[in-house]
Amino acid sequence: MSTQARDTLDVKREPPPPRSYSRPFWDATRQKKLMVQYDRKAGRYQFYPRATSIFTGRTGDLEWREVSGRGEVFSFSVVRRARPPFEGHEPFVLVVVTIDEGVNVMADLVHCSLEEIRIGLRVKPFWAPLPDGRHLLMFEPEKA
Amino acid sequence: MSIRDTAIIGYAETKIVEKSDRDVWELGAEILDSLLAKTGFEKGEIDGLVLSSSMTGCGNPFWSQSTADQLGLQLDFCNIVDIGGCSPAGALARACVAIDAGLCTTVLCLYADKQASENNSRARHYQAEWALPYGYLGPPHAFGLLSKRYEHQWGLDYAMLGKLAVTQRNHALLNELGCDKLRKAITVDDYLNSRMIAEPIRLLDSVMVCDGASGLLVTSRKTAGKRGVSKIVVPIGYGERTTHRAGESVTDITETGHLPAGQKAFQQAGLKPKDIASFHPYDDFIIAIMMQMEMLGFCEQGQGCGFIRDTDFAHTGDLPLNTSGGQISAGQPGLAGGGVNLIEAVRQLMGEGGKRQVKNTKNALVTGIGGIPYGRNWNSSVAMILTPNG
Repeated sequence: MSTQARDTLDVKREPPPPRSYSRPFWDATRQKKLMVQYDRKAGRYQFYPRATSIFTGRTGDLEWREVSGRGEVFSFSVVRRARPPFEGHEPFVLVVVTIDEGVNVMADLVHCSLEEIRIGLRVKPFWAPLPDGRHLLMFEPEKA
Repeated sequence: MSIRDTAIIGYAETKIVEKSDRDVWELGAEILDSLLAKTGFEKGEIDGLVLSSSMTGCGNPFWSQSTADQLGLQLDFCNIVDIGGCSPAGALARACVAIDAGLCTTVLCLYADKQASENNSRARHYQAEWALPYGYLGPPHAFGLLSKRYEHQWGLDYAMLGKLAVTQRNHALLNELGCDKLRKAITVDDYLNSRMIAEPIRLLDSVMVCDGASGLLVTSRKTAGKRGVSKIVVPIGYGERTTHRAGESVTDITETGHLPAGQKAFQQAGLKPKDIASFHPYDDFIIAIMMQMEMLGFCEQGQGCGFIRDTDFAHTGDLPLNTSGGQISAGQPGLAGGGVNLIEAVRQLMGEGGKRQVKNTKNALVTGIGGIPYGRNWNSSVAMILTPNG
C-alpha cells in the first residue's frame, strides 16, 4: 500500500511579495502560465527572476519566455518538522526540479506517494490558487 | 606585505548558553576585559574593531560604531563583516589586511550574538518570494535537499556521519564552556535514531542556536615582538569564495566554494592537506564537515565516507576534529558561531587545550560557512590556515 504524502494546499500563507522586476512572473500565474527569464545573448534561461542577467550582468538582453514547466526532480526532502502556518501539515515534500529549459526551481510536490518520490521523477506544474488571484507554482508527477 | 606579518596575541570566549539574560554588549565587554587581562595590552592601544555578523546587532545599521562607543574604544578602523558564519574567520582576515595596510595597528575581532534570546534580523533575500510560500524553513530544509542530492550522486553511509557526531560530542564533554544541555555522551545509534527533521536531516545532524561571544586580539608581528608577547598564532593562508558559480543556472551542488577557497589558502601557506595537524571546520550540519573534507582535498569529491571510516578524528587521533565539540556539540552562538571553531584552533596552537590538547600543534585549518542560497549549498566559504609563532 502506498503512503500518500500530505501537502500544503490548505495552508493559509502570506501572498509572496513581488519585486519590481519579478512582476511579469507573478502576473502570468493568474493564467497559470510559467514565465522564465531568458538571456538572448547567452542563449540560456535563469531562475529565480533577477534584475539583471546572471550570465553577463547586462540588463538589455533579458526577455520573458513562457515554458511548459515540465522537468525532473533534482532533489527532494520529506519535511517532518515545520513551523506555523505549515506546522501540522507534515509530512510534505519539498523539491528542487530541473525544468527542461535548464533551470532549477524549488517548490512543493503534491499528489505523490512517499514511495514514488525519487530523483529523476518526471513532474509537471500544478498551480495552487492564492487568495489574490495569482497562483503558486507547485509540481505533481507527470503521470498524475 | 602579507597576512603573515600579523599575529593573534590573545583569544577569549564566554560560556555558550541556551538563552542568556546578559546583554550582548555585556558579553562583548567580558571578551574585551579578558583579552586585556591576558595580553597586558591597554584599551587605548586598540585602534581597530572588526565585528562578526550578529542577529542581535543586525537591526542596527550602525552596529560597529555603536559597539565601539559602548566599549569606549577610539578607533581608526571600524568594520562589520556580513558573510554570516564565515564572518569570524573573515573578520580575522580583514583585521590582518587592515593592519598590514597601515590603517590601524591593533584590532579587536569581536564575535557576539544572542540569536536565541534576541534575534533582530529581518532578512531581505529571495526567500519571501521563492521559498517561504512552500513552508521552507531555511537551513534544515536546505541541508535536506543538499543531502539527498549528495546521496544520489555519491552514496551516503549515515553511520559515518554518526561517527563525526559522536567524535565531536566526546570533545564537547571536555569543554566546560560548551552549552550544558549538549554535554551528554551519544552513540552512533543515538545519531541514526534521532528524530527526522527534513529527510535525511536528523536532530543530531543539526546545530542548536544559542547565545555567546568570543574574540581575538590581533596586532603586527613587529609589535608583538617589541612587546615580548610569548605566544602568538599567525595566519599563513586564507581563501574566500562567495556565491560560487553564481553565473550558472544548474550546477553540481556537491561542489562548494571551499574548493577554490581551500586551494588559495593551501597555496599561500605552502602546505598540502596531508600536512594539516588539526581541523576545525564550520559545522552547522554534520554533512557539511564531510563535504569540506572533500573540497579541501583531504579526499576526492564523493569519497568522504571512506575517508571518515579510515580516520581517527579524536583529539588524540590522526586528524583531530573540532576539539571543543564544534558548534553542533558546544552550541552555536548565532552568527558569531564560527568563533567556536576558530577560537579552539588558536587555543590548541597556543598549547592551552588542557584535557583535550592535541599533540601536533604545527598548524590548524579553520573554515567558515555562511548563508543559505536558493537550492544549492551555502553562500560563502572560507578557509584559513594558522600556525604558532610563524
